[in-house]
Amino acid sequence: MNLSFVPAPLALLPWRIIFALVALTCFGALVLYSAAGGSFQPYAFAQLVRFSVFLVLAFGMSLLRRDLVFLAAYPVYGIVVGMLVLVEVLGAVKGGSQRWLNLGPIVLQPSELMKPAIVLVLASFYHSLPAGLVGSWRALVPAAVLMGIPIALVLLQPDLGTTISIAFVGVIVMFLAGLPMKWFIAGGVMAAIAAPLLYFFGLHDYQRQRVTTFLDPESDPLGTGYHITQSEIAIGSGGVFGKGFGNGSQSHLNYLPEAHTDFVFATMAEEWGLAGGLFVLLIFGMVLRWGMRVGRNAPDRFSRLMAAGMTATIFFYVMINTMMVMGLAPVVGIPLPFMSYGGSSMLTNMICIGTLMMIDRWSRQARPPSYG
Amino acid sequence: MNSLTASGAIATGRVRLVDIRQRSLLTARLRVLLLVGAFCLIALAALLRIAWLGLVQPPPHEQSMAEALLPSRGEITDRNGVPLARAFPAYALWYDPQALNDGGSALVKPASEVAAELTRIFPDLDPAETTRRLTSGKAGYIRRRILPEDANRVQAIGELALELPRETDRQYPQGSMAAHVLGYVAADGHGRVGMEQVLDEHLTDPATRGTPAALSIDTRVQGALEDELRRGMLAVNAAGAAGIVLDVDTGEVLALASLPEFDPNRIDARGQSLMFNRVTNQVYELGSTFKPLTVAAAIDSGVVTDLAKLYPAARPLQVGGFRIRDSHIIGQYINAPQALIHSSNIVTAQIADALGPDRLKRTMEDLGMNERPYIELPARGFPIWHKGKWPRLRAMTVSYGHGIAVTPLHLASAYATMVNGGIWRPTTLRKVAPGEAPRGRRVFKASTSARMNQLLRMIAVYGTGRHADAPGFRIGGKTGSAEKPGVGGYRRTSLITTFAAAFPMDKPRYVVVAMMDEPKGTAASSYQRTAAWNAAPVVGRLIPRIGPLLGILPDTSRDIDLTDLKPLVGDEETEE
Repeated sequence: MNLSFVPAPLALLPWRIIFALVALTCFGALVLYSAAGGSFQPYAFAQLVRFSVFLVLAFGMSLLRRDLVFLAAYPVYGIVVGMLVLVEVLGAVKGGSQRWLNLGPIVLQPSELMKPAIVLVLASFYHSLPAGLVGSWRALVPAAVLMGIPIALVLLQPDLGTTISIAFVGVIVMFLAGLPMKWFIAGGVMAAIAAPLLYFFGLHDYQRQRVTTFLDPESDPLGTGYHITQSEIAIGSGGVFGKGFGNGSQSHLNYLPEAHTDFVFATMAEEWGLAGGLFVLLIFGMVLRWGMRVGRNAPDRFSRLMAAGMTATIFFYVMINTMMVMGLAPVVGIPLPFMSYGGSSMLTNMICIGTLMMIDRWSRQARPPSYG
Repeated sequence: MNSLTASGAIATGRVRLVDIRQRSLLTARLRVLLLVGAFCLIALAALLRIAWLGLVQPPPHEQSMAEALLPSRGEITDRNGVPLARAFPAYALWYDPQALNDGGSALVKPASEVAAELTRIFPDLDPAETTRRLTSGKAGYIRRRILPEDANRVQAIGELALELPRETDRQYPQGSMAAHVLGYVAADGHGRVGMEQVLDEHLTDPATRGTPAALSIDTRVQGALEDELRRGMLAVNAAGAAGIVLDVDTGEVLALASLPEFDPNRIDARGQSLMFNRVTNQVYELGSTFKPLTVAAAIDSGVVTDLAKLYPAARPLQVGGFRIRDSHIIGQYINAPQALIHSSNIVTAQIADALGPDRLKRTMEDLGMNERPYIELPARGFPIWHKGKWPRLRAMTVSYGHGIAVTPLHLASAYATMVNGGIWRPTTLRKVAPGEAPRGRRVFKASTSARMNQLLRMIAVYGTGRHADAPGFRIGGKTGSAEKPGVGGYRRTSLITTFAAAFPMDKPRYVVVAMMDEPKGTAASSYQRTAAWNAAPVVGRLIPRIGPLLGILPDTSRDIDLTDLKPLVGDEETEE
């Protein structure tokens, strides 16, 4: 088929992935429609509008030039850190902890923006680092500082889930940057030692309870184990093809907490069953495979690391959320990309997608397009 | 290789740089691969988990809103919808020392003070013991059931540790009525003994427990039966009594009573000891009540064609080393109707001998005497039944109800077969919808049944059943007084007395069996022990009470036609 009439910038977009995401978001909106008791308000409509707006934003992002992005890495990082500080200050002034910045009609959660920002700044850092220094302390300490500042700020909020995800994507970028393997092993051992200490001295009571609940949800099925138990009931009662659209009793009768945000996967699985779950995981698999491929084809170290980091960010959301909902991970407030209702996570994920589209464009420009 | 061309370094440096770049590229590729591998593993784990939750794990029990509105356990009603057992929400008083959950003392006030306040509400509580319980730190029931107003007063004490959980209880609004039919619900929430056990699934399944389970029992009939049995039992100082009212055309049990009874509302050790069901579980040698069955079998097979035929009855019948005797000499020669009216063992044994052991055994098998009774109850006694070929003597003793032990329910079922036109049907405690009665199997010809109806009526009019002959109800029936077997033979003074009856004999509708266990001779029974003086009067008083309820009004202008048989028995009305 001759598509020569389509302008080059449009033709170069990864349409297959965009269609997959649209399909996933529409499916998510369908679930939200059902969770709202068969109504587009208040969730589904807002979700679709957001997705459209952010998709346009992602298209816009994909047109950015590489040198511009490279130059902007540290300033963007600085701005997001500044916003995190601002959140802390506002919280201190107003009293009580706060995670959001109210910017007129938009409510922004800077800790969410920190995830792509940390990938950007670390990719930029390791790109600039001479290859021979990768094994030395100079590869570690500045990166550790870059990660440490936002981690400390987010931990202060306190937001354990986001803290872990920032640390996770940071470590992934470091890992792919080729830091010596023994450091990761040593780090892993230290984490294993630190985890119990952190558990007993570093966590809030409610967080500690979530961990014990994760380890044994039946220990308190009506209290802290309630989320997981109800979620597993929802997924389990779906069976192979689910109870049918709009027939999920767990979400409609409010047995399932956060049916439209963190536990949207359980809401979906109850109505669409194993088939729906496979569909969602398949689309995420496609997206992640595309992300890794973009990273592999990327022209240089900066874009390679950035692509891998952005993919890891999305992956982290998917992994922690699905595992939490299935009772394989503790309950931390991490939403499911493109399906959970909420603006900040949608924004983060669309930034990741936009960045990947941008890198995809760079690599096509760097060499003749193969259209493979 | 941009850097290579742009580099101005010396050759060795360049080589090393290339080397490093190559190596770092390799590690990068390897690490991406590692990462992708980890992703795939986690995705696989997630997939397996979904499949496990969705396919393997049993679907969780879901309680819908509609279900929450259902009773916790379904209702049991009688055939007219009168509740016999129902769910009853109640309060318990539970002590939970962890309720305050602050690591300190379980109570706000001192334990002795709380115990004193509890004692004011429940005067039978021991204050010292209660104080000890409250300070022990162990959770537990202080009282299992308390009244709502008492619950309010406990609430007013203001101790969080005193909790008032709502529990569902089983209530039997008719008290001990039909206790053996219903059974009870044990602490584990499952039924025991009676229909509570049989219907357990129906009563607990959310899909079915909303609709009450209707039994075949009629509370009015049940109440009358229990009342008359108890009265009869106390009057003759019997150890126990049993009774049953059976619909002859459907096999439905309208009333079934075993005395002494227990109270399903309150199960204690004494109640436990009385749960044995005499009607369905205990087998007895039921004596002379078997005689009509023998005669029916003989008529049916054509062995007895002439009811006027006379049999010698003056001397005990010698069979091998065994003598069959009557309680008194009835006459030199008597015919079959007379043998039934006066209950002659000698003549019945001769008829059975003519019939032959095989045919009698066959009839008994057709009547279900060789297996447990057909009823839903879990406790069903197995008859003492001799398998294999019966010798001549066995047939002769069985013909008058010895050498075979069955439950009173067996007997009622056999009488229903005999009077309803000859069709045997399984007995049931479930309500049978009109037209839904089982087809059953034919045991006797309709003509045999018609003849037996005449003979049974004659026993009540002229013979041992006269004490049961309530005017206008056209009762027919046979007495039976069997000695209970004891150590070293039968015990002459310990009797099982039975009256098996049907009414109205012109169109039999119901069979009534009443049985007394070890009745004594008292003033009420004219110092007699036999069935004619204790079991028969019970039936004679019961039928006028239940007949009108069941649509059978007393009518002295109707009766079964006895004119063809009357001349055979003469005017003798002397026998008791």
